[in-house]
Amino acid sequence: MGPTMGNGFFTDTTLCIGCKACEVACKQWNQLPADGYEFSGNSYDNTMALGGTTWRHVAFVEQQAPPDEPPSESRWLMMSDVCKHCTNAGCLEACPTGAIVRNEFDDVYIQPDVCNGCGYCVPSCPFGVVDLIAHKDYDAGRGFVSDGRTSDDATQKHGGIAGKCTLCYDRQKVGFTPACAKACPTESIVFGDVDKLKAQARKRVETLTARGVPAYLYGVDSGTSVGDLNAFFLLIDRPEKYNLPERPVLPSTHQPAGYASGALAAAALAYVGFLIFRR
Amino acid sequence: MTAAELAALNPDAAARGVSDGPELPPHQSATYYESPLLKRPHWEWNVIVYLFLGGIMGGSSSLVLLADERERGGRVLARNGRYLGVTLALVCPAILVSHLGRPERFLNMLRIVKLKSPMSVGVWGLVGYGNLAALSALGQLANDGIVPEWIGRFVPKPLLDPVLAIFGSFIAGYTGVLISATAIPVWAKGKRHIPALSVCSGVASACALHAALLAIEGDFPETARKVERLELVASLAELAGLEHFRRYAGEIGKPMFDGPRGRKLRTFTQFGGILGATLLNLLPGHSRVRSVLASALTLAGGYVFRETLIEAGKDSADDPRAASRQPE
Repeated sequence: MGPTMGNGFFTDTTLCIGCKACEVACKQWNQLPADGYEFSGNSYDNTMALGGTTWRHVAFVEQQAPPDEPPSESRWLMMSDVCKHCTNAGCLEACPTGAIVRNEFDDVYIQPDVCNGCGYCVPSCPFGVVDLIAHKDYDAGRGFVSDGRTSDDATQKHGGIAGKCTLCYDRQKVGFTPACAKACPTESIVFGDVDKLKAQARKRVETLTARGVPAYLYGVDSGTSVGDLNAFFLLIDRPEKYNLPERPVLPSTHQPAGYASGALAAAALAYVGFLIFRR
Repeated sequence: MTAAELAALNPDAAARGVSDGPELPPHQSATYYESPLLKRPHWEWNVIVYLFLGGIMGGSSSLVLLADERERGGRVLARNGRYLGVTLALVCPAILVSHLGRPERFLNMLRIVKLKSPMSVGVWGLVGYGNLAALSALGQLANDGIVPEWIGRFVPKPLLDPVLAIFGSFIAGYTGVLISATAIPVWAKGKRHIPALSVCSGVASACALHAALLAIEGDFPETARKVERLELVASLAELAGLEHFRRYAGEIGKPMFDGPRGRKLRTFTQFGGILGATLLNLLPGHSRVRSVLASALTLAGGYVFRETLIEAGKDSADDPRAASRQPE
């Protein structure tokens, strides 16, 4: 026990069969409420997005072959999305209470008893992962009172706190594999030491490339300000097809320009003020 | 399916110009079912009101520092500023507490100082400002003979006024940094504009409020004119900044500047609050009613600016294209 390096997920989308066992296992282990019976009409995806109480989401991208090509050229891309547990996490940096921490497994974890529901982490996540949820204690004993997908402010009125994937912190503590990876029947989701996962993933990219599949890793050596992702992906199409940002930017990188802009305006107005009042 | 086949199958839909799918084959569709990539911010009216009042609070303490207390108008201006400062320093945290999902945990923000988080820095700025503003108001109360005069001797006024002006300017500006240090495209795009606009709007609103107070309380045309002149400069800077931001942001700025929301911003902020109030103030002579009216226009414009900013952020979050290649 006691890993020295970080733990994370390698999600190989070429192995995903869209069974959603990861979604179910996550909901069950973490005792998260159901998402309701909404029919999106978008392939088999009725979950549609990660949310405060939806910590795994399987995306379905149907790609029909162009009319002049054989039907065998059609593709069905599936990807199990999850919190990326960024090296430089926007939510963690924004959090004013220190509720969001990096735990001993190098994962980004929200301490529910410290979070005060300010909601600043929500727009600070470049991947649109974290959201507010009703607090467990709010309606004594009833558990979560609203589903995590609401985008109105209902959750703030219901003792809302921020919610997202914990990378099964509780399971990791006792040496278990996170629920989603454990349930995945094809090993599309692999859990483990991030460095070892990266080595495994690079080998997989080589294998696929040799077969002519345009595979690449998303969130490894990408050179973005969010850094490497502890939960990274193997993709075979552009990131935005899977609803991942092509160029995620760490929000705190905007701060120097922001403070300079504010200070400059304040100094200029102060100077003008002195000219006006001291005349 | 060709258009003719569709028309044969469903004449109704064809007549309405509805096709059974996008023009492009699905493998060329750029985003994931056009569904949002980012989460909408949850901030509602309380945050908008806080941004608005925080701006006034900040601008007001600068006016206290600027006021020349050797003359009567200056004394009234400084007094108003000190009382307004402490009042808003009480109201603002109360509004912030009301927006928290768990209001009783406002204190959780005081367990750490986190320079990386503008919200943490802002809360400490607010705490610092509040305590100093209370001290400053105490000195004013002693000066006005409401509390015993000897209490005023413990208030270091020459030091307090500049420190409060600095704290106040910070509070007027940090909210802009807080907003632009997010992944929301229109906010992130405005990292060089929004903080400066917040300061300008805050100062303009503070000047407007003080001009109205001076007009209501009595006849101080000299001081009122100076306040209005600073308001004019701040307002014109805001006008220029907004226009520059609109051009600079382009497509990403559309949630803020296009449609009904853009029209509201133009009507209340750019036209009413800035141009309208400026013209009223520039008219020759001095009228109490006109002064109050101009101030009301500026204050309404200031509020609409903050509201537009927050609401535009929500729509901007829904645009998967802007969210895919995020502003650097």
